[in-house]
Amino acid sequence: MSRRAHGTAKAATNGRATNVREPAAAGVDLRVRIGPLRLANPILVASGTFGYGDEYAHVLDVSALGGVITKTVTLEPCAGNPAARIAETPAGMLNSIGLENVGLAKFRSEKLPKLRSLGATIIASVGGETPDELARLLEGLGGERGVGGFEINFSCPNVAKGGARYWAEPRRLERTMARLRPLTRAGLIAKLSPDVTSIADLAAACEQGGADALTAVNTFVGMAVDLDHGTSRLGRATGGLSGPAIKPLALARCHEAVRAVAIPVIGSGGIMNGRDALEFLAIGAAAVQVGTASFIRPGAAADVLAELRAFLEQRGIARLDEWRGSLADLGVPEAQGPRGRRR
Amino acid sequence: MITDAGVPAGSELSGVEWRQTIARVHRQVDAGADHRWLDLDVPAPFSIPVPGQFLQLLLAPPAAVLLARPMSVATVAPHAHGCTVGFLYAPVGVGTRLLAELSPGDPVEVLGPLGRGYPLEREGVPVLIAGGRGVAPLLFAAQALAHPGDGRAPRRCEFLFGARDAAHLVGLDLARREIEAVGGRLHLSTDDGSAGTRGTVLDLLERVAPELPGAPVIHACGPHGMLKAVARWALARRVPAYLAMESVMACGTGVCRGCPLPRSAAQRAAFDPARTPSLWGNREYAMCCTEGPVFEAADLDWERIE
Repeated sequence: MSRRAHGTAKAATNGRATNVREPAAAGVDLRVRIGPLRLANPILVASGTFGYGDEYAHVLDVSALGGVITKTVTLEPCAGNPAARIAETPAGMLNSIGLENVGLAKFRSEKLPKLRSLGATIIASVGGETPDELARLLEGLGGERGVGGFEINFSCPNVAKGGARYWAEPRRLERTMARLRPLTRAGLIAKLSPDVTSIADLAAACEQGGADALTAVNTFVGMAVDLDHGTSRLGRATGGLSGPAIKPLALARCHEAVRAVAIPVIGSGGIMNGRDALEFLAIGAAAVQVGTASFIRPGAAADVLAELRAFLEQRGIARLDEWRGSLADLGVPEAQGPRGRRR
Repeated sequence: MITDAGVPAGSELSGVEWRQTIARVHRQVDAGADHRWLDLDVPAPFSIPVPGQFLQLLLAPPAAVLLARPMSVATVAPHAHGCTVGFLYAPVGVGTRLLAELSPGDPVEVLGPLGRGYPLEREGVPVLIAGGRGVAPLLFAAQALAHPGDGRAPRRCEFLFGARDAAHLVGLDLARREIEAVGGRLHLSTDDGSAGTRGTVLDLLERVAPELPGAPVIHACGPHGMLKAVARWALARRVPAYLAMESVMACGTGVCRGCPLPRSAAQRAAFDPARTPSLWGNREYAMCCTEGPVFEAADLDWERIE
């Protein structure tokens, strides 16, 4: 992840989100379609790790990314959880932010216009404690210019109500997606928790309800205690684990989701560099999200993109589609066959 | 209050853009009492940090720790190709112990300068209060007061420095040099009486306050217990006090929302989100990294701070 690699990413990706229908002037064709969304490349930044897109805009060209997924917005502003909200653990970090966000009104009036002016492909993450709240959010944002898609946060591990546990119900997910579907023509992406008995069942339910895509996965519920003080290392007992520690776990959940549905699955979990992204794409992810890496290097997503591009170029691969899913059949007995093979 | 202390942090508002770049270890030496002094050469372009600001120090991969370490700046020497930034720290955790092993020439990725520093320009007699290794940003503050630049006159300050014992008054020589150069006074306290007054910096403050030549303005850094005591002392006497807080952090730039500090009731009541666009309009919590790490005593709810 060198500075030079970062520079290459900027130079090579002139294409703004609005130009993605035209093939890149040279090099690898990285374009991705996710429902109605057309992304210039598969590198997204994960909700909650990139603010509202403007905080890091002086470090990297956010318009050159596949898209920016904004911090989950709720109907009302949310102050979040008391300290401590962060605890570093081996190769990872726990967070217990508690959905701190500016609320729908401020998001629309202040944050969205700023992000639009930066030329980013915008995917707005929305969160609610009930299907009704989600519907009201989509009613409020569904027609907003420049919002290409919505990621429905069905998987926050750090709130008392409306978190991952509440949404880990296939029928509730299906009914909710079906209710949200008519409210927008933008892409609808369901972000799933990994802490479930069967992510395949939840993925299928979302697909059935009309989701354009899934994100697999949100953070894993984790815990860390301070033996010396006899306390949790977080303000709450548990938090969400992210970072390299979860990559193999996330990869397995993502693979399981890919096998379960025909719609695109966006991989997320511990992606720190281009090779990590390539692994998720190889097991069938349509795109990926860079999360915790941005906390460490704000320009990480641009570096991941540059590394991904360089890798494919070096292999002589002209289109990302040739790479995607190349390892999706791993571990699947021939006779059994996948439930919903993609292409 | 936010409205008094100036413009909230955030690159778009302060006009100062933090950046991430590769620095090199210039020098690393033992500072006594298990502390280290680290000088990093930070190449231009890089904004020159001010006292109270911090940098995020990231070890070159593969490192045993994932996140960068926020570290308060103890001194800055600008030069033709950037600046040399000094840090005083104790290797107490995994990350800082790895940092302590670095030798001259080794790379360290730095991100900064971050946060808001001390309002040293505020009128009044500067009273700098340091507890233990919290002395780091106050060494820098003393240096800045003694060498203000731009043709401004040096300012005399009172420097109150407390630690558990004489050995833990790390950075004392440096403090003495800066203070005495401008005719300031250094007051010491130790828990065991092995240097200066036996007691705490609060005892020093009680003793020094009545003798000051003018109204004091406090700039402090140290353990939160000490800062609470200083804040309460200052609030009871309506003395302006600016305190550099600590928190676990992930990003250091206001993005992760990982370092909340509870706002005081007064600040919650007066809070105007329209005036604080970079602060996410959070009436309940201020982020230590962007709104701080230096806070005015009246702005935080000290009862809820551990």
